[in-house]
Amino acid sequence: MKFRTELINFADGMTLDSGDRLEKFELMIETYGELNESGSNAILLCHAFSGNHHAAGKNNDSEIGWWDEIVGPNKAIDTDKYYVVCCNNLGGCGGSSGPTTINPSSEKPYGKNFPQISVKDWVNSQKMLMDKIGVPYWHLVAGGSLGGMQALEWAISYPNDIKKAGIFAAASNSSTQNIALNEVARESIRKDQNFHDGDYLEHNVIPKSGLKTARMLGHITYLSEELMDSRFGRRFQDEDSKVDQEVDFEVENYLQYKGEKFSESFDANSYILMTKAMDGYVAGQDIGLRDAMKNVKSQLLIVGFYSDWLYPPERGKEIQMAAMDNNINSSYIVLEGAHGHDSFLFSSEEYSKVISKFIES
Amino acid sequence: MAIKLSKIINNWVPDDSKVIDFGCGDGSLLKELMDTKKVLGYGVEINDTKIQKCIAKGVPVIKQDIDLGINEFESSNFDLSIMARSIQCLKNPANALKGMLKLSKRCVVTLPNLGYWRCRLNILSGEMPVTPELPSSWYETENIHLCTIKDFEKLCIDENIKIKDKVFLNKKGDQSKFVSIKPNLLAVEGVYLLEK
Repeated sequence: MKFRTELINFADGMTLDSGDRLEKFELMIETYGELNESGSNAILLCHAFSGNHHAAGKNNDSEIGWWDEIVGPNKAIDTDKYYVVCCNNLGGCGGSSGPTTINPSSEKPYGKNFPQISVKDWVNSQKMLMDKIGVPYWHLVAGGSLGGMQALEWAISYPNDIKKAGIFAAASNSSTQNIALNEVARESIRKDQNFHDGDYLEHNVIPKSGLKTARMLGHITYLSEELMDSRFGRRFQDEDSKVDQEVDFEVENYLQYKGEKFSESFDANSYILMTKAMDGYVAGQDIGLRDAMKNVKSQLLIVGFYSDWLYPPERGKEIQMAAMDNNINSSYIVLEGAHGHDSFLFSSEEYSKVISKFIES
Repeated sequence: MAIKLSKIINNWVPDDSKVIDFGCGDGSLLKELMDTKKVLGYGVEINDTKIQKCIAKGVPVIKQDIDLGINEFESSNFDLSIMARSIQCLKNPANALKGMLKLSKRCVVTLPNLGYWRCRLNILSGEMPVTPELPSSWYETENIHLCTIKDFEKLCIDENIKIKDKVFLNKKGDQSKFVSIKPNLLAVEGVYLLEK
């Protein structure tokens, strides 16, 4: 599949939700397919907490995109028909401006001083991106988890710039339990002796072990109990493929491996920033979800998964109820989803069909 | 079926009204009402294949088991709720009826008539009815609360539900004057407009 990766520069910067200003910033984007003449076939994908702009296909490092099961030629989001855009979120560590970027005023990496970004800021920056790359409106904005929050916020903030929103495995705000779990992850990073109060880059170290523990915990929350049972059971890891001699069970080996890999590539300050953005998001901050959705004009497709205990399907239903109160053309579907919270990433016959039919309807 | 039924219901549905259809199937009834009456319609359905058909038609749909809740839709201010050929499948039809009339002032209910003469013949011969309208055997049918026209109207009286209008259908699914002479014996299906 043909794709283009591009760094888009916003020299005028933007004023953030918090009132802070980013004097300038860059967004790393990846695009698939072609924008048609009337500009009616553009789709924006919003990534979840640890995702990036690489949504589909194999990139030059042979990495497969985070939504490759759903996005591609002849897939649910068909890149033969649609011009699909995905950007690395501001504050992330996939190439867009974030804590590892050089701060123009200090000429050192921002580190912990990168301003706190909100879900709304992401959506505002994506709107600036839309204007910059000449997309007149999005036929669809879609994402799962934190990406679903962005899709919802798009529908609320820019009702005239979006025809459809796909909100998958998401909620209009994070639950108490979501915040609690994120705080344990952040604590493990902060208490890593290499964290240096967020200034680890200046010390030429990274809080690897904290990041690793955070990711291991995260992984448990993304999977369902049933999936862990069926995938690992109580099987012992064979001696030859142990990542560590301390490991007994396969599930331990898996978490160790995943955590280790993540800790080599993800930035700790980004981790804290992204989870804070997730925890802080409340659709319709001051006025409540129902009133916030008053001006929504787009069609909504809300999908939840029975096996998802992190953002359980009832959370999606809250959005559906608010949509119905506002006479919005909105559908709410619950699917089995074998992968717990991560189910939104994987194709199933029902999931793919529902998405493609929603796009085409 | 959807088109015939929508013709009857059309007279009962004001333009631009907000409608919820419990057990909406593939969404064709709602689609018809959306096209002809510009209604804002929501379907409630449990079957994934039927849900996909709703989505393909652009009919908003909610995946839900009707037995588990109707009340939660109360805040949406519906003008009309519909339950076509589904009430006999519910665990508690009386509660469902009351629930529908809480969330909308009016509701449309259609039900297969167990008093239809063919059903009576089946029972007279000592067997549970199996007819084109009720094709499943007793051990595999979803129809756990079948009733006659007479039974249903008695329930409405007991529950203080007003029957604003009613139409009786013959085996072709058409409105029929002949059938209306003795609906409990001759009608295959009853279509009711109910009000609190």
